[in-house]
Amino acid sequence: MSTAVDTGGASDLTLRKEAVTASADNAPTAPEPAVGATRKEPPPEKPSDTRRRSWVVASFWIIVLFLGLPIWWHTTSIYRANLPLDRMLEWSDGKACRPVFPLRISLDPGSLQDQEAENLLRLTQHALDDLNDFPAHHLRLQLAQKEAKQGSDVALTIRLTPGESVHTATSSLHPHLPILDVSYPPNSIPTPMSSSSGLATYIAAQLRSNFAEEQNIINYLLESSTAHQEQRSKSVSQDVAQTLSKRVTRSLKYARTYHLTFSLFTNGPSPSSWDIESAIDQYMRPVLDMLAPIHNFTLDTQVQLYAAPGVQSQVLSKEDLSAFINAAEWPLSPSIGGAPTVNFVVYIGNQTIGTEAAETSQSWLIPQWGSVYLLAPPSSVHVASDTLKQPILTFTSHLLSLLGTPQSGSLPLRLSTLTRVRSADLLLRASSSLGSLARLSLALKSISIPSSVADGVAKSMHHLELACASLGNPESLEHAQIAEAEAERAFFEKSMVGQLYFPDEHKIAVYLPLLGPVGVPLVMGLLNELKAWRNRRRQKAKAA
Amino acid sequence: MRLFTSVLTPLFCLVASAAAASDYHEQLVLKPLPQNSVLASFDFKSNTSVAQFEAHNFRYFPRSLAQILQHAGTRELHLRFSLGRWDAETWGARPWHGTKEGSTGVELWAWLEAGSDEEADQKWLTLTNALSGLFCASLNFIDSTRTIRPVMSFRPEGDHPNTTMTNMHLLHGVLPREVVCTENLTPFLKLLPCKGKAGISSLLDGHKLFDASWQSMAIDVRPVCPAGGECVLEIEQTIDMVLDIERSKRPRDNPIPRPPPGHELKCNTSKPYNSHDTCFPTDSLSAQEWTISQVFGKSMKGTCPLTDPAVPPVCIQAPHSRDVFTSAGVTELKVKENERCYLAPAEDDFELVLPHMPHEGENAKSDADEYVKPETPLLYAERSFTGHGQQRGGVQTIFTNPSPDTEVEFVYLESLPWFMRIYLHTLQARISHRTGSDKGETLAPEGDVIQEIYYRPFLDRERGTQLEVRMRIPPASTVFMTYDFEKSILRYTEYPPDANRGFDVAGAVITITTLTPNGKTSSLRTTGLLLNLPTPDFSMPYNVIIFTSTAIALAFGGLYNILVRRFVGQDEGPEVSLVRLKGKIRAAVSRLQSKTKKPGPPGMAAEVAGGKEKEAAKIE
Repeated sequence: MSTAVDTGGASDLTLRKEAVTASADNAPTAPEPAVGATRKEPPPEKPSDTRRRSWVVASFWIIVLFLGLPIWWHTTSIYRANLPLDRMLEWSDGKACRPVFPLRISLDPGSLQDQEAENLLRLTQHALDDLNDFPAHHLRLQLAQKEAKQGSDVALTIRLTPGESVHTATSSLHPHLPILDVSYPPNSIPTPMSSSSGLATYIAAQLRSNFAEEQNIINYLLESSTAHQEQRSKSVSQDVAQTLSKRVTRSLKYARTYHLTFSLFTNGPSPSSWDIESAIDQYMRPVLDMLAPIHNFTLDTQVQLYAAPGVQSQVLSKEDLSAFINAAEWPLSPSIGGAPTVNFVVYIGNQTIGTEAAETSQSWLIPQWGSVYLLAPPSSVHVASDTLKQPILTFTSHLLSLLGTPQSGSLPLRLSTLTRVRSADLLLRASSSLGSLARLSLALKSISIPSSVADGVAKSMHHLELACASLGNPESLEHAQIAEAEAERAFFEKSMVGQLYFPDEHKIAVYLPLLGPVGVPLVMGLLNELKAWRNRRRQKAKAA
Repeated sequence: MRLFTSVLTPLFCLVASAAAASDYHEQLVLKPLPQNSVLASFDFKSNTSVAQFEAHNFRYFPRSLAQILQHAGTRELHLRFSLGRWDAETWGARPWHGTKEGSTGVELWAWLEAGSDEEADQKWLTLTNALSGLFCASLNFIDSTRTIRPVMSFRPEGDHPNTTMTNMHLLHGVLPREVVCTENLTPFLKLLPCKGKAGISSLLDGHKLFDASWQSMAIDVRPVCPAGGECVLEIEQTIDMVLDIERSKRPRDNPIPRPPPGHELKCNTSKPYNSHDTCFPTDSLSAQEWTISQVFGKSMKGTCPLTDPAVPPVCIQAPHSRDVFTSAGVTELKVKENERCYLAPAEDDFELVLPHMPHEGENAKSDADEYVKPETPLLYAERSFTGHGQQRGGVQTIFTNPSPDTEVEFVYLESLPWFMRIYLHTLQARISHRTGSDKGETLAPEGDVIQEIYYRPFLDRERGTQLEVRMRIPPASTVFMTYDFEKSILRYTEYPPDANRGFDVAGAVITITTLTPNGKTSSLRTTGLLLNLPTPDFSMPYNVIIFTSTAIALAFGGLYNILVRRFVGQDEGPEVSLVRLKGKIRAAVSRLQSKTKKPGPPGMAAEVAGGKEKEAAKIE
């Protein structure tokens, strides 16, 4: 106390005490001693005291502001790596990349003269450009090189051969190679001067119909990803969109490797063995080999006895089909490792499918999961390879639709379409993941963003750019896939979630006991000091 | 059981060799034990050729387990789920010589093929995580602090080529706190080809299994290469349980034991006070009658059609003088002394009835007719905590060699948590004769008992203690092995829920290297321990925050106020509202007084009040 009260003040105190008693004694008749009446102004404070007080208040505030606050900030702030938010949002809005699929189609003129061939090429290209109403998907014709090097970036080769028929041109797709054989009537070669030709229009129409499905799918993908709004100039028709959406929801998420599990389930103790290996080698292996550039497959097989289905009824209605798989008891655990699992189940039983559509159908496809085939109980305990032919063939076609392969055209054409569709799909997915991450980091200010997320985003965007630049080529699939994986990894980074649910109430509970009692004197001291300072200035002004 | 199979083998060798490539085998052995218990040992064994396994074609071998093994590069796997305590004093030697048994909770050890220790750790992590999903157990909590690499205790059971042997890493982890229950049995049964729907596995029911006095579920996967034959991968699943007959005969809808009504009481008529209204109940431990469906809660539904029909699915190890009745269509085979097997019909329910055998009257039977006298184990071991207080403690393990003439050699393995800091220098072994005239006397020096020690000290929060001691105990003597430890204080977040219950310490594994008569090693495990650590009050952080904040606020507030305030007289400072209110009230009171009490001495109240005020110094 002695620090603040000097001796002068203390002597004042004694004096005033006497004054109070005196006033109380002197005015016995007045009931109120009138404290206010005897109130005195305190003696003027020494300027050094005032200054010292100001210094004390100021130094406290300086310590709080320049030491306390930075320490608090440093120890409680959450690390947020810098994300290129604008670029990420651009990607998700579809502004960063306009997906364009320039498809090169080479024209093998066969016996035609160069001049004639070029003329035909020009006319067909014209006809194609007239037909095409979808800018993202562009077919470009070129003459086949004489060296006949099947470039990997050529989507389709048109092979022209003079036909026997005089009136009409015919065409057919090669079943194992991406080749369209067109035989034309000899007289239909356009002259250099003509501005239109029946043959050119015919070829254009053929090309268009072959790529119509691909166009629809890509159009649908672009449209359903909310980002590319401005491109929905000409939308696909309602029912086409519906079938496409059914097909897209049915197909599995893209992965480089799929794991195929073939299971034989039976309700009783037999049959307990099957010739699945030879059946797969015979009926499914060729298709798997063709898919090799796009997907790898690992296989395993199992036999499970005493497996009761989830539905007991003999005739399976449409509702029963979804409940048939007894997920609780059947050991259909997905494979461990990264590859998604596709399940193919052969169920030995007398059940029949009782939908109104077909009497004969024995199998059904379960979207994004696999398919089931009902097989009548064989006589022996062993299921022979021949019995498995139909199931395996059905599984093969189901596998193709589970992978999202288009349904029309020859197999090589369908597979190359699959590559392009998949890269478009992955590109859009990666972009939308990036967008979600950007929006998330904007919406949740308290979420931490470790540097690994920033790395993932950078890598993802780099590969997105590469993929976008090479759309239509096989390597774009590679890039899109890396981009998608990186974007997913960044989005699902585990350490981001830890700080997310740290509630504000908790912070208040921790801070309030300290900040309340410390903050109130600090603030009040500052306010008083300001008031005193203002008073002093006013008095000084009055005096002056 | 081992003995039994070795005797059976010549009987069925023709059949067995015919179906050796990928066969399935199951058998249940029932063995009545003293004190109204029965040991039921289920054994399921299936094989797959290594070629089929590597081609991912699974028939009897479960796919779900196989792909985990392939993914984690596991060459040999041993998984145990155990509950309860084997009462060696009463029940004798353990089934399978203790090789199919684990410490209480979950125990896992496996040989992984890996190039380096880090790779092995990575694969171990994959393995434990995948198994935890498959068996619905918390195996994923087997982290580095619970993993050890035993050096002397375990040996591979399978036949491994020498090339892979050099790259194989043995890792061992145990979860003593895991409570084994029905959710572990269901996936266990799913691995069987017959799925608990037919054959002996249809007897397995969680209500009875986990109500047993002791039970152990085991899964062993190992490659077996018969001489000259193709290598096969063998998965052996066993379940051993000791059922208390009286307890398991309780009906499921009325499981609470109640005193029997008066007319059902069996009275001891030899008591002098025995009359129609006083009764001294006789010892209820007299042998009870039981049937398979009574003790297991359901009857066996035919046989599993995948097994060899010539191998009997059920055997009973009891003296031939024990009466056993069977259901119709069952064939009895007398395999050897004290063992009978039963061939069951494929479709019908199978039932065994072991009736009550009178101990009195004509044809009186003795205990020797009820059950085979339990075999004496090679070693008894029990372990307990010693000491008191929250800081230090000790562990004492008592080993007893019951054999009068052979010494026993074994490896004692402990995997202790890091928060139990043991002092190895306090490790002592004291030996004393168990019987005879020199009972209790120290015989041999400690050096003769402890042959070899392998010790890997703990690292805080990184790994636990691994202690392996090779010991040799002379015949008919007891060894007391003790060591001390210190209890460490954990961090706030490291305490598990219900920390006051204590921390489970896994049972010690004792691998007896002295061979059993039929040339197998045997093992046993001590029970787990419950370690009490100093446990804080868990609302502590908030209390600490409030306390320190209050202290800081008090100190700061006082200091700050003194520094910035100016001291003036009470009448010099600005009037504070409370003082003003007090003054007003006082004025009103004195006015009232002066009105009512005119003659009274005026100004009294004011003077008293003023005097009080004088003493207060006004602080602004």
